[in-house]
Amino acid sequence: MTAQSIERATEPRGEAAEPAKRADKVDFKMVTFSLAGKEYGIDIMSVKEIAKAGRFTYVPNAATFVRGVYNLRGDIISVVDLRIFFHLPAERKEEEALESLIILKIDEHVFGVIVDAIDKVVGISSAAIQPPHPIFGDINVKYIKGIVENGGKLYIILDVEKIFAPDRDEDIPKPVILENQKLMEEAAEESERAARFRESTGKDIASSFVGETLSSFKGFHVTPVNEEWFEARYAEWKSGRKGSELQLKEASEADQFLEAFWSPSTGRLWEDEYAQAAEKILPPIEAKTINVWNPGCGKGYETWSFASILKKRYPEIRIKIWANDSDLLAISMAPNMVFSENVPEYYAPFMNKGRNGLAFSQAIRDSIFFEFHDVMNANPLPPLDFILCRDMLSFVGPIDQKRLLGDFYDKLKPNGILICGSNERLGDGWTAIGAQGVSAYRKG
Amino acid sequence: MRVEYINPFVEAAFNVLREVLQSDVRRGELYLKSTSMPVMGVAAIVGLAGDVEGRVLFDMDKPTALKTASAMNGEDLPTLDELVKATITELANMITAQAVTKLHDLGFRFDLTPPAIFTGDNMEVSNSDVEALIVPMETVHGKIEINVAIRERA
Repeated sequence: MTAQSIERATEPRGEAAEPAKRADKVDFKMVTFSLAGKEYGIDIMSVKEIAKAGRFTYVPNAATFVRGVYNLRGDIISVVDLRIFFHLPAERKEEEALESLIILKIDEHVFGVIVDAIDKVVGISSAAIQPPHPIFGDINVKYIKGIVENGGKLYIILDVEKIFAPDRDEDIPKPVILENQKLMEEAAEESERAARFRESTGKDIASSFVGETLSSFKGFHVTPVNEEWFEARYAEWKSGRKGSELQLKEASEADQFLEAFWSPSTGRLWEDEYAQAAEKILPPIEAKTINVWNPGCGKGYETWSFASILKKRYPEIRIKIWANDSDLLAISMAPNMVFSENVPEYYAPFMNKGRNGLAFSQAIRDSIFFEFHDVMNANPLPPLDFILCRDMLSFVGPIDQKRLLGDFYDKLKPNGILICGSNERLGDGWTAIGAQGVSAYRKG
Repeated sequence: MRVEYINPFVEAAFNVLREVLQSDVRRGELYLKSTSMPVMGVAAIVGLAGDVEGRVLFDMDKPTALKTASAMNGEDLPTLDELVKATITELANMITAQAVTKLHDLGFRFDLTPPAIFTGDNMEVSNSDVEALIVPMETVHGKIEINVAIRERA
């Protein structure tokens, strides 16, 4: 076995050809290489060394992109062929020929990746890195950190940590080979899933990309809860725009996309119509107290609205509402909310006129606890009659969402009711009872 | 934690620290935490009872505790002796008491338990199912973190 380590050569700073205006400071260095004729880069901090090597020891039963294992001065490392990993054409070299190998060190794990040719080390300013564009096609966007132009060439910077990072939940590092085995399975599964996705939707990889942009710009996650809305909205969006305009390029566009998502009367007191519709779904209750949880209440408009509705529907019963939000600024304003004259008629009986305007009466006030609280932490609450969480489930990640829905289910009393956003849908274990724009579910 | 409880604690901490240290105090960003967290070295704890249940924990490292105690006593205290511990305990008591007084004016009834102080290396508080509000205070003598966990009695 041969391994000729090549010294890392840093390109001289500020090439003469480079225009003077690009005097940005060099704070990001990458090793550049080519794959199927395109230029790529990897952050130099992940690169341990580069080498020429060949005659890898074949590992039976490994995924196709694993070329085998290799003895790097006594350490056994696994070698992944990046071209095969990304489904790019790879020329098969002769048995004895040497391949260009980049040795990566990610956390404690060392891997070798095979590329077509290693070019050089390029220093750039990290400010010049552009976000990845959806139509790169060859390589899944989530593996791309960004794209950068240098010396007339475009380099795609790969996020090797995403590609190879071991599962962070696991504290005990597994042997490299085992880890790799898992990666392979995952990667195989991933590519299979991607293939299936492409088949099922045929044309629209772009829609999944729009979904990803929404999550990175606005924290909105496309999940079964809102899939139905998302697909309809995407179709509408697509018909209104064409070509490159389809994608959401900035936060304001994501806002525009989500404009249609919000439930009626978001950010203000519920309109009469919506309030009456909500009142209609409230079942008769015989109890001394009604417990309500309103996670993600924001500035508290919906809490005040719902408190009034409950008071009207159950005038004799004591009502307790726990309203939380993790946005300190929004929740701080909630308890002392004052309104101008023109509030919906529905609330008139529950409001008093004060010096600064209309405010809710003490009886309503006493029924609500506004709390600075993150629902992802423990939620110490008694058994609940109602949960009000409009447009909130869509803004937690899929795993947290699942956990939260489980928590909701556990905390609701039998036949308890959950009111979610008008464009949100719940699945098994919930019976839809909503009507007239109010989306509500009964447990069981 | 109820929104109404936040300000009294922040204000009390700010006022008392500025008064006893006779110097500028800066408040850091407030945040919530529910995982177990390391204690910097000196921690004074005051329990709360009444309408609510909870505790307030004042956490700082040893040099900060020494310097703060020295400033409060007007003499140089180089070792973590009884006087230093008593001073930090008193500081915790003053801040919590002032916060509770403010809360009382707002109509909330809180009682205090006598403060206790813990010192040592590599300590950790873990009551992971309790969410705590962290109020970081930057003083000239170092950082003091006030960790408030209060919940309504069910």
